[in-house]
Amino acid sequence: MANLNTEAIKQHTFDAIVIGSGMSGGWAAKEFTEKGLNTLMLERGRDVKHLVDYPTTNMYPYEFAHRGQIPYDVQQANPVMNRCYIFHEDAEHFCVKDAQHPYVQEKPFDWIRGYQVGGKSLLWARQTQRWSDYDFEGPARDGFAVDWPIRYKDIAPWYSYVEKFAGIAGNRDGLDNLPDGEFLPGFPLNVVEQYFSNFVAKNYPGRHVISARCAHLSKPNQIHLDQGRAKCQNRVLCQRGCPFGGYFSANSSTIPWALKTGKLTLRPFSVVQEIIYDDAKNKATGVRIIDTNTKQVMEFYAKVIFVNAAAINTNLVLLNSKSKRFPNGLGNDSGVLGKYVAFHNYRARAWGEYDGEMEWTTDGRNPAGGGYLPRFRNVKKQETNFLRGYAAGFSAYRQMQTDENGVGESLKRNLMNPKLSGWKVGSHMMGETIPKETNTVSLDESKKDEWGVPQLKINISYDDNDEKMIKDYQEQMTEMFTKAGFKNVNVMDSKQAPGLDIHEMGGCRMGNDPKTSMLNKWHQMHAVNNVFVTDGASMTSTSTQNPSLTYMAFTARAVDYAVSEMKKGNI
Amino acid sequence: MFKPIDRRTALTNLALIIGGAALLPACDKPAGKASIALKKISIDADQEQFIADVAETIIPKTDTPGAKDLKVHLFVMKMVDDCFSPDDQKAFVDGLDKMAKQAKDKLGKPFGQATQQQREAFLTEIDNKKIQQKKDSQVKGKSGNATPQDDVLAFYSMVKGETIFGYTYSKYFMTKQIVYELVPGRYNPKLPVSQLKRVS
Repeated sequence: MANLNTEAIKQHTFDAIVIGSGMSGGWAAKEFTEKGLNTLMLERGRDVKHLVDYPTTNMYPYEFAHRGQIPYDVQQANPVMNRCYIFHEDAEHFCVKDAQHPYVQEKPFDWIRGYQVGGKSLLWARQTQRWSDYDFEGPARDGFAVDWPIRYKDIAPWYSYVEKFAGIAGNRDGLDNLPDGEFLPGFPLNVVEQYFSNFVAKNYPGRHVISARCAHLSKPNQIHLDQGRAKCQNRVLCQRGCPFGGYFSANSSTIPWALKTGKLTLRPFSVVQEIIYDDAKNKATGVRIIDTNTKQVMEFYAKVIFVNAAAINTNLVLLNSKSKRFPNGLGNDSGVLGKYVAFHNYRARAWGEYDGEMEWTTDGRNPAGGGYLPRFRNVKKQETNFLRGYAAGFSAYRQMQTDENGVGESLKRNLMNPKLSGWKVGSHMMGETIPKETNTVSLDESKKDEWGVPQLKINISYDDNDEKMIKDYQEQMTEMFTKAGFKNVNVMDSKQAPGLDIHEMGGCRMGNDPKTSMLNKWHQMHAVNNVFVTDGASMTSTSTQNPSLTYMAFTARAVDYAVSEMKKGNI
Repeated sequence: MFKPIDRRTALTNLALIIGGAALLPACDKPAGKASIALKKISIDADQEQFIADVAETIIPKTDTPGAKDLKVHLFVMKMVDDCFSPDDQKAFVDGLDKMAKQAKDKLGKPFGQATQQQREAFLTEIDNKKIQQKKDSQVKGKSGNATPQDDVLAFYSMVKGETIFGYTYSKYFMTKQIVYELVPGRYNPKLPVSQLKRVS
């Protein structure tokens, strides 16, 4: 009997456990296994194998029963998911259904999740802009949150490291507020995007419109071919999973790479209930999971644990990991766990029309989506009546348009002969929000989910700074668009709830002082040295860049540190 | 496997046929079912025929296939059944019957028996109303939920919208007319308009 137990424990013991299989978890698994560690990766959802589990990837529009539309009943049953741009017939199977995964909205929050192997890395918008010191120094300069314990120089080599492997398309733009990376050829701007780029450069010093940098293989290197990936084919149907591996996802890249080492055990259908903490050893010893198929509760053990469950769920796991030493959640001596959650303000848009460059159009599809305006407000010093600033997307396009009035042969002829519209231009804002103590996630002890885990209560809202920023974005875009000669310029504020940006961050922030932060400069818990958090939960502030690239770099750097500490016997 | 029918079975079958035939005169018309399974709305064979005739009038067969050839009317029914709200579904069914009656009154015969020209003239009148309503709503702005749609207009708008959707998203249209490229394999940011091919 004793032997049997020993054997069972041995089978459940690994060098490293990674909770979560998405953007950052995939990187943790890749790095650990490449360094020779036996690694267990836990994923709450089902497996999604590259190529094999992309059922819609090669379907034509006419092969979908509702030509892409989600049936009414399904929309009604999923009010949160239904607001997400990804929720169509072709990717519905990768979307979390509201009723199956309830949470408590103390204030409206659209929590968009991807519960499967690969997580949201399958579905992301693939934008990959680096941070600079203007971002890392934000909290210290402007006096909010706490100072980041790292600077650009700490992370720059790791940006390079992950960019080379993931494959990032971009141009070397030479901007100090958006550092260049290790780029594959960028996707070019079209004539109107280029026109606007030139116009802004000439008329607005310090403002730039560049080609958006994105995780697409515009021209694969050997390292990408070695992953079994091929050149991006400009389908722009990425949310279905790519049969070419043309964009970076954990499914196409890091997870198969880790599996190839023979060191990775991938365990889907495993909801983590808590991290097990040993008071005597002052260490986390493992995790307790529930198998969602068998409902069996199981334990797995490891020397080091990486929490990559996606920002909000990482908070949930830590909050629910209670022990005598940590009654308020693992490593939560400071009391900041679940607080200072922030996100990106995506509420405003601007659009217009342009009647120049009418002899040109585009052909094919641009996976980068067009142009990107790095933050230009308050970059070098405080200039406005709000803190920080916003980046903006910018794209120009012409559409095929049909006169659908009338009936009969004339209508039929019109449908067969659509006309090319003039140029339309559009932009959306990506605003930094200021992490506040009052923007929180916490446990609802009275409501539990199907797996016995308390439901999350989310209490997050916009503030006056966000409102001012929206107004400024609308004013600035209107001015730039109008001066550039665009016509019928319009702006809007969608008033969408936080969350729909899918850039929730924080709750388990980094910082120098254990009294006011959860993690040190290596993403290691101040209070529990064998637990690391390298996903969005670790963010001290949000800046404006799409955050995934930064999580990848954080993760690779943190694993490197963790393994070196293990070798030194410190972990 | 072939099984010879015994006398008892044969007689039972005969009784069923006769019984069925005997019931027939009691009904105004045979309540034939729609040719596809519907979950929410109830459409009988006559109503289906009417939807098909309206769709065919909107996109008639010429030297290329029309709505009926491409079974677009079945797509319309499926979309209304699956993707529309209960309110819209009710307006669809109510509007269908009202419009069928209006057509009969106006044309002096069932819609399906009128010529394409007559049918087009009938629908054009409703289409013009739809155009006018769109103009009005643009003037009033998005908030102006002011003009209550009558059921006939609602039915027509749904049939027309879904007919165009079904037609332009049919395999025929996306492979033979405006070719849809699943794998463009290119992005040219600067193409002379004169070189544009008809691809979507």
